[in-house]
Amino acid sequence: MLRQDINELLTQTGPGTPMGDLFRQYWIPALLAEELPEKDSPPVRVKLLSERMLAFRDSEGRYGLVDEFCAHRGASLWFGRNEGSGLRCAYHGWKYDVTGQCVEVPSEADNSSFCQNVKLTAYPLVRVGDVLWTYMGDPAKQPGLPEFEFAHVPPEQTYTSKRWQQCNWLQAFEGGIDSSHVTFLHSGGLKNDPLFKGAKGNEYNMKDTKPFFEVADSEGGLFVGARRNAEEGSYYWRITPWVMPAFTMVPPRGDHPVHGHFWVPIDDENCWTYSFDYHPVRPLTTAERQAMIDGHGVHSKNIPGTYRPAANMDNDYLMDREAQKRGDTYSGVAGIAMQDASLQESMGPIVDRTKERLVPADSGIIKARQKLRKAAIALRDEGVTPPGVNPAHHRVRSAAVVLPQAESFLDSCRDAVTAIPGVPQSSV
Amino acid sequence: MIYIGSAGREYAVDAAVGDTVMAAAVKNGVPGIVAECGGNCSCATCHVWVSEEFAPIVGPPNDMEEDLLDMAVSERRSTSRLACQIRITKALDGLTVEIPPEQP
Repeated sequence: MLRQDINELLTQTGPGTPMGDLFRQYWIPALLAEELPEKDSPPVRVKLLSERMLAFRDSEGRYGLVDEFCAHRGASLWFGRNEGSGLRCAYHGWKYDVTGQCVEVPSEADNSSFCQNVKLTAYPLVRVGDVLWTYMGDPAKQPGLPEFEFAHVPPEQTYTSKRWQQCNWLQAFEGGIDSSHVTFLHSGGLKNDPLFKGAKGNEYNMKDTKPFFEVADSEGGLFVGARRNAEEGSYYWRITPWVMPAFTMVPPRGDHPVHGHFWVPIDDENCWTYSFDYHPVRPLTTAERQAMIDGHGVHSKNIPGTYRPAANMDNDYLMDREAQKRGDTYSGVAGIAMQDASLQESMGPIVDRTKERLVPADSGIIKARQKLRKAAIALRDEGVTPPGVNPAHHRVRSAAVVLPQAESFLDSCRDAVTAIPGVPQSSV
Repeated sequence: MIYIGSAGREYAVDAAVGDTVMAAAVKNGVPGIVAECGGNCSCATCHVWVSEEFAPIVGPPNDMEEDLLDMAVSERRSTSRLACQIRITKALDGLTVEIPPEQP
């Protein structure tokens, strides 16, 4: 279990909360680059860490992320006109540039300097890979840009999607470091999913339902090792890296692209799940990319024009009891992403962790909570920069390896869990 | 060894060397040690306060135990330990631990 006060500490990320301040030390995904495809694209509402903002690109193609509401009398700038290098409020024509600076107040005299003193809260918005990232903290402490491998390989080697998840970020994230559910919840996917099936490792995954967990600290977070029996005298290890606060990678399967997630709080009861797939050394095939677009693997089929999954809590995730009975899917919900989301959302918007019963297979979760808690308190009380802020901490990878029983997973896999350009993933 | 229940009642138990403080309590029907996970250091429901004089001999909690004591138990003290992580040795003859009024 987790004490209620700590559950609140870890799940609340609004302005001024310890966990909110922690998230504001990092660059986090704000939206996908495809949401602002060209200069003067329609502005997009963005809510992150309980702050409501608006993302837009001006006539020069520059990105801006500003307070959603006009400084005049609080009308939403979403209704505004994106024109002439700025966003103009539709109410009285006040106009702002990408830095949030007010550049025109039409009702004022031509020679008035009024608008110079008006500035919206604004954060940097920068494209790295297919993601637009923002940093919502103290400008003086802004770290270097993200160096996660999925965002740095050539565009033909990577694909990122996102989906709205209707629960607190922590319970979504905890699913990302919990290898033991795969044997059950995703057993159908290990057999059938085009982006998962066919790997030798899947057989070990299915045979051994009792993984043993070993957790090791990394510079930016943790490596969670899940050990299952392989052939006589050897173990199959699935190694999941976590980079604080919310980046996780799934251990690879065969030569399939490697995937992972970024779990970003929208507010305390909703989060964005960014799901990426990339291959470190080769382009994604047409079939792979199409499978991702179709919502296979870690991706979801979304309602067109939105990032809400077509299978969602309002339609019971299109539960198919016949498929459950036949064993096509273990839970009756189709797709790995929605299998996870359905159960994580089923816990309620913020799960009451005082009632949970943890077992040794949850040791990664216990360690991650403690690391988050300590980092949030060290930041609050002593201003300590948390792990994972330094971009060098981002250069990690997941790995799936078979090792002799006597070997330690981390000592044997230092290279395998490091993102080295041009070197393929370590996978079974 | 001696367990002191939250109502003050004392339970004197003959614990075997090599057993854990948790196992000795469960085997002898001492109430208040729930031990939900069966001694795997993952549930924190065998929390005890070690008596001051024995605390240095028992030693500090291990890494995972430290996390659980931090995050799960209702009243952590400097002498808090999880009973499943204390192995009985000859040096612990006469060990006294207090059982908190509630386990997580």
